[in-house]
Amino acid sequence: MDVSSILASHAEKYKSITVEKANPLEVDAAYLTVTDPNPIDVDSYDNDLEEHLQSLARDGTQALISSLFQLPINRSDDGPLAQLPAPIAPLPRAKHLPKPKPPTKWEQFAAAKGIQHKKRDKKEWDEERQEWVNRWGRDGKNRQLEEQWITEVPLHADIDHDPRKIARDERKARVAKNQKQQQGNIARAQSSSSAQPQPREERKKDIDRTLSSARVSTASMGRFDKKLEGEKKMRGVKRKFDSNEQGGDSERKNSLALLSKMDSDSRKMRTRPSSGGDETVNVRKAVKFVSKGKGAVAMGKEAASKKKFKSGKRK
Amino acid sequence: MLRTVKPKNARVKRALDARAPKEVEDDRTAIFVKGTHTGEVVNNVMKDLMALKRPCAISFSKKNEIRPFDTASSSTSISSLEFWSAKNDASLFVIGQTTKKRPNALTFVRMFDGRVLDMLEVGVEKSVNMNDLKTPKSTPGHKPLMHFASELFTTHPRFMQLKTMLLSFYNGEEISEICLSGLEHVISVSCAPTPPYLNTADADAAPSTSLPKVHIRTYTTRFLSSGTKVPRVELTPMGPSLDLTLWRHQEADPEMLKQAMKRPKLKKQDIESGLGKKRKNMEVDEMGDLRGRIHVGAQDLNKLQTRKMKGLKGDVDERESKRSKTE
Repeated sequence: MDVSSILASHAEKYKSITVEKANPLEVDAAYLTVTDPNPIDVDSYDNDLEEHLQSLARDGTQALISSLFQLPINRSDDGPLAQLPAPIAPLPRAKHLPKPKPPTKWEQFAAAKGIQHKKRDKKEWDEERQEWVNRWGRDGKNRQLEEQWITEVPLHADIDHDPRKIARDERKARVAKNQKQQQGNIARAQSSSSAQPQPREERKKDIDRTLSSARVSTASMGRFDKKLEGEKKMRGVKRKFDSNEQGGDSERKNSLALLSKMDSDSRKMRTRPSSGGDETVNVRKAVKFVSKGKGAVAMGKEAASKKKFKSGKRK
Repeated sequence: MLRTVKPKNARVKRALDARAPKEVEDDRTAIFVKGTHTGEVVNNVMKDLMALKRPCAISFSKKNEIRPFDTASSSTSISSLEFWSAKNDASLFVIGQTTKKRPNALTFVRMFDGRVLDMLEVGVEKSVNMNDLKTPKSTPGHKPLMHFASELFTTHPRFMQLKTMLLSFYNGEEISEICLSGLEHVISVSCAPTPPYLNTADADAAPSTSLPKVHIRTYTTRFLSSGTKVPRVELTPMGPSLDLTLWRHQEADPEMLKQAMKRPKLKKQDIESGLGKKRKNMEVDEMGDLRGRIHVGAQDLNKLQTRKMKGLKGDVDERESKRSKTE
């Protein structure tokens, strides 16, 4: 029996799902993308453009499909789901990365104490009614005490004792407390993130500054200008003084700060003329004195001639 | 710039939360804008590109005076782009414009954080519409496969920009899973043969007017059985088919691009499962335990501290000679 034809047809079928190229195709499965780095064949391009493009696309798509079908697969109702890897060459994002939210006071406390977050169900089991009821909201369990038709009153209670009102006030107080804490968290988060300039606030400050400088920029420095109705008096910066009684520590610190400020090069209060060498001797003055006003050059010449004279005498 | 709104009720809060930056981003929305004059060609091309981009596509039907590459009016054009981007929560634009100098121009604009990241202008030389081909079409909303053919897409900066732009346009969303039976169509981007002057080292010095043409073709796929797990793929032209030339462009500002390329920190679980690159000499065995391999340098056995014994101290001959000297 000759099976060569069957084998050949099988091989042909198998060949059609493998793509042979000089450079291997680069598949980025995360973006369902294949890049063919091989140069375009000029002959087939010129010969029949559409045919050339379609065969190129078929080869590329075949390579992509082959790699996609080899990925690990999850079964689902809609068909097999291929699990995609992370992208090889990521694309730029559309928006910046989300900034981490500052933790609330409770979250800080829980982290310090090692308290795990526990998810609380919205529903609660009602023993009497034998069903799940909302913890809050419509027919909420938190209003049960206010809404039940009969409530026990303690012995010797006041005449105006109203258990419904007490329960309601308590619930309202809890809500108010929670809201207050929430506001506190928001305020804390804002103050911690205020290191970044907030454009609206910056602009407001800028306008105020411009306005105040414009008001004093007239010939009379704003003194005889027409006042608008409801215009407020301009407020300057108030001087502030330290209190007279201070601890020794702060006084010492202030004095040292002042001394170091005086000593520092950048803000020297008296600048000395810079002179080379020893600063205790004024060289220019000393030379003038020794040479009796003739100058350094003359003194040098004189010294040289003296030396010559001395050496000659010795001989 | 739009004022930031403080949510006053739950619905507004939900809407704002949907727009807030996310770690894993949603698909980018594209806005198709018509310039002061658009011919029939540009209109049809934009319609087809939009059909491929649906449902994340918004069409502006009125004409707009927008010329992002024009030096005189670029700032107003860019500020209107930024305004539209903020208003519609869109980060991609296609601007169609026909002038005498640049007939049938399409400008692709990519935004980051509500500002323009980069721009790319192409001219449509030849186009076949989706409706001209009486062939089956893909379902709107299905993800396309992308195919880029030419070495220029990995070497030449202009073509690399085109590649990432088209990728952001149609396949920018990072997804974890894909339904294999839902792969219906492929967008193939190919180039004309590379001219010899582009193969030299200083490819940038070559005039940009003579960059090779770009051919964009779209095909629907048919999966035929091949006898193996992997099916054999056959393609049918679907349309649109575009022949494009690259015109003007604006590169991304490097600082902004750096911000845009920032990735979220990998979670510990992902690193262990092999997502990150810092996973050397570590593997998880079948029991789910993390196993490591430690490389220790070669040990110097001469310095090994053994039990001290008189007989083992130094060489015997040496000690003998020492003793004889002292005597």
